[in-house]
Amino acid sequence: MTSTSEIQLLHLSKSFTEGRRRHRVLDDVSADFLRGETIAVRGRSGSGKSTLLNLIGGIDTPDEGRVIVAGVELTGLTERDRTLFRREHIGFVYQAFNLVPTLDVADNIRLVLELNGVPHRESQRRIGELLEAVGLADRAASYPDVLSGGEQQRVAIARAICHEPAVVIADEPTGNLDDSTAEGVLELLDKLVRERGGTMLIATHSARVAAVCDREIEIHGGKLEAPARAFESR
Amino acid sequence: MIPVTLRANFSYLLRHPLQLALALLGIGIGVAVIVAVDLANASARKAFLLSMDTITGEATHQVIGGPRGIDESVYVRLRVEHGIRDLAPIVEGAAVVDGASFTVMGVDLFAEQQLRSFTAQARTASGEDTPGESLFRDFLTRPGAVTMSRATADELGLVIGQDFDLLANGRSHRATLIGTFGDSDDTGLQNLLVADIATAQVWLDSIGRLSRIDARIPDGDDAGLARLEGALPDGHRVLTAAGRTRTTAEMSAAFMTNLAAMSLLALLVGLFLIYNSVSFSVLQRRALIGNLRALGVTRGRMFALILSEAAVIGSIASVLGVVIGILLGERLLLLVSQSINDLYFRLNVTDVMVNPWSIAKGVAAGIGASLAAAAVPAIEAMSFPPRLTMTRSSLEGRTGRLLPRVALAGLGTMLVAVMVLLVSGRSLVAGLLAVFLLIVGFALCVPLAVRAASSRLAPVASRIGGMLARMAVAGIGQSLSRTGVAIVALAVAVSATIGVSVMVDSFRGSVDEWLQQTLQADVYAGVQRGSLDPALLAAIAALDGVEAFSTSRRVQLEDASGRTQLIAIRMAPGGYAGTEIIDADPDAVWPRWEREDVVLVSEPYAYQHDVASGDVVKLPTDLGARAFEVAAVYQSYDINASAMLMSRSVYDRHFDDDGVDSIGLYVADDADPEVIMARIGDLGAGRQEIRFNSNARIRELSLEIFDRTFIITDVLYWLAVGVAFIGILGAMLALQLERGRELAVLRAVGMTPSQLGTMITTQTAVIGLLSGIAAVPLGIMMAYVLIEVINRRAFGWQIDMAIAPGILVSAIAFAIGAAMLAGIYPAWRAARSQPAAAMREE
Repeated sequence: MTSTSEIQLLHLSKSFTEGRRRHRVLDDVSADFLRGETIAVRGRSGSGKSTLLNLIGGIDTPDEGRVIVAGVELTGLTERDRTLFRREHIGFVYQAFNLVPTLDVADNIRLVLELNGVPHRESQRRIGELLEAVGLADRAASYPDVLSGGEQQRVAIARAICHEPAVVIADEPTGNLDDSTAEGVLELLDKLVRERGGTMLIATHSARVAAVCDREIEIHGGKLEAPARAFESR
Repeated sequence: MIPVTLRANFSYLLRHPLQLALALLGIGIGVAVIVAVDLANASARKAFLLSMDTITGEATHQVIGGPRGIDESVYVRLRVEHGIRDLAPIVEGAAVVDGASFTVMGVDLFAEQQLRSFTAQARTASGEDTPGESLFRDFLTRPGAVTMSRATADELGLVIGQDFDLLANGRSHRATLIGTFGDSDDTGLQNLLVADIATAQVWLDSIGRLSRIDARIPDGDDAGLARLEGALPDGHRVLTAAGRTRTTAEMSAAFMTNLAAMSLLALLVGLFLIYNSVSFSVLQRRALIGNLRALGVTRGRMFALILSEAAVIGSIASVLGVVIGILLGERLLLLVSQSINDLYFRLNVTDVMVNPWSIAKGVAAGIGASLAAAAVPAIEAMSFPPRLTMTRSSLEGRTGRLLPRVALAGLGTMLVAVMVLLVSGRSLVAGLLAVFLLIVGFALCVPLAVRAASSRLAPVASRIGGMLARMAVAGIGQSLSRTGVAIVALAVAVSATIGVSVMVDSFRGSVDEWLQQTLQADVYAGVQRGSLDPALLAAIAALDGVEAFSTSRRVQLEDASGRTQLIAIRMAPGGYAGTEIIDADPDAVWPRWEREDVVLVSEPYAYQHDVASGDVVKLPTDLGARAFEVAAVYQSYDINASAMLMSRSVYDRHFDDDGVDSIGLYVADDADPEVIMARIGDLGAGRQEIRFNSNARIRELSLEIFDRTFIITDVLYWLAVGVAFIGILGAMLALQLERGRELAVLRAVGMTPSQLGTMITTQTAVIGLLSGIAAVPLGIMMAYVLIEVINRRAFGWQIDMAIAPGILVSAIAFAIGAAMLAGIYPAWRAARSQPAAAMREE
């Protein structure tokens, strides 16, 4: 692991309006995550975990503060530039898998490669390798609806890392899986991201998931808190 | 208080106001078109009947004669010798004032008061409501004295005592307005000039003649009727006034039936739209429905919930539709009355008469269609298991499995349509029913075809436009439960444009060809709604450069069985080729036609009266009813379906009428038709205003009327297309809503807004393309049925079908354009949505 900072959050604030009330989800949050680090983001439901990940992933913008990822200040980018940044540097894994139902397994991965302009032959090679790595080499032509939850999440992992992003964002990646499947998926995700030297943030309620990470942070009342084990290198 | 289950359902709709608005608008337009056409038809018909009722007054019967009417001595004999009192002589004809068409009605005020109220209700300038003595005297003694309704006088800008010019039988006359009748509402009396009978006889060139004698015979007074009939000389008949009115009104019945059918087309497209909206909202709420079922809502209750929702939507949309329909009806009425004036009879009507029956029909159609369309998704909702976990893909799988069965049902429906056509004889309504069955049957086959097409096109799209194009194309077949009905609605609407365009185009081509053939002479001359002066006729025929001439006289023969339009023709040697004989040898037919008591009947007449060459028709001549053999059937697109041709020499033997309506001049090769026309103008100057035109100009004028007749058809099918457009827009919006999370993921993994927009636009373009392609065979089938069945049954015309490739290409281009246009907003909305917000909403 290098000590270069990969993600910097400076005084981030974000609020949402619910009816007439304005609810402050993140309140002056600052943090620094290193390249190659795996961080567990913990907190109660509605505490702002997903919001934080969305801000880091560039799919949402803060009301105040700055987000710097891989040396690029996302808060200074236009919507289009943030999209292009996301396409190249971020990988997403969601609790609900979020595969495109109208595409088969291979095409779900190919979609990201094609968006990144990876040539067809290279795409084929990477898809083959990744499906082999996630244990789904024989399911390339299957559609998501015939796969089990664990299988779908493995496809989602392959899709998240196929373009070798700097940062992988995983929002409750095992929330929809049974314990044994969850363990396998988590192991795979951790292994593949680490192999590629990526930085990963995992939003989770699970202590077991957090235990796999290098460190954990907790959001409480909109503020970032580091529990006892925080900021300790694994 | 509204039950919670109901609120749970309705709040979904209220949270998607745009979709709700589109559904309301779609149904509303469907209802509006039905209401508008019904109101326009009913108003036109009612205005005509009201006008006839007012003019007929208390008269129960009318005595009519031959083409020249009745000699006035007949009236005198009836009154004096036979002592029949309740009679009123009438001289009626056309006149033009300030370029507008008027009816001149010459009456005998002494006889009138027993039959008609308005002629006795003339108002003097001082505003007295009783006919003043001075008015009475003026009417009888002042040359050119007329009365008219106050509204008509206002329209012409005339005040009592003012003189004005009118043109009757090609001659200009001076008239004076001496009084008005009625109030500001002169329904039934517009454009009517009432004059003394002697004045009307002078104006209409009918001195000593009457158009008819109105009679009042009490109901059941058979002896009185027999006495009147017995007192009439040969060639005169007594017909009921109501029967004559009905016969006139029925002339336009087929025209109105066809309009009503066109309005149903908009509702049919609207029906697909309602089905689409309701089924979509049910599918989107499958989790909610599953939860409600888990909480104990019964299947029956679920069914009732969905139907009640459809009933509410249908009711609101119907009210909206009625309001739009009344406004639209006013516009359509202008087109309908214009066509009726062009084609059938004079009709003055400007205001829609809103009748509860038309509105009730529209509301019933709107609510009924909503309930019928919602029944299928409601049944489907009943089958949702409690705690539904059905994924979208498995739902699509179920839809996919249903498609072959749906297509099979479609084929069966089309088969039924063909059987209806085969067994329904000449019924127009059955023909129209078959057209609708054909549309519905074909529509049911479209989704299966679309699925097959999209799966085959997807790899092609992938090669051309990569993954995005592939996703766009494959997505169509994979979301048929959402897009299928919208595709069908667009296909049906576009097929209607193809069907009607091909029919109109073929019809226009046939009419044009027929006009070219029929108009053999180089120049035609005649008097607007009148007869040519015999001396003038002779002078025109003798003009230098005229090699030959033909004459024609159109008269209405009427008896209890209805009306026949007899065209008496003096053929020029080169004129025979202008009439195409269909079922006999022309060389054998023409010599007989010139000499013997035979007639040629038009093809529509032959079809509608089921006669052919060799049959015998009975005609009321001036010598009494006479039998004429049908020598042959000839091709004709004359709007008057009951037309027949008789040679002038035969006509002269049977009718005491030397009138000629028009003359056709065959100009020598070295003569200039323009010069001849100028000379005709000179000849007429100061004698009779003659209208003359070259054959090319007459053809142009005829085609202008033809085109004007179909404006209303255009309006109606564009409304159907509008409904389909709303359907596509609604479906695409709903699809984007349903796919909100999926689209958010695509944005998250790096798809730019423009890429997402392009993908959705591509999808809608392909939807348009597939709809357009599907519309082609249905459109051609519709054109075939419209030409071979509907037009034949309605009007008796035989039209040669001609399919211009341009119609098909532009229809497909139109379908693509309409779908892309409908896709712009959903694409824009999806592209600008924030992925994080979409995820949160999920």
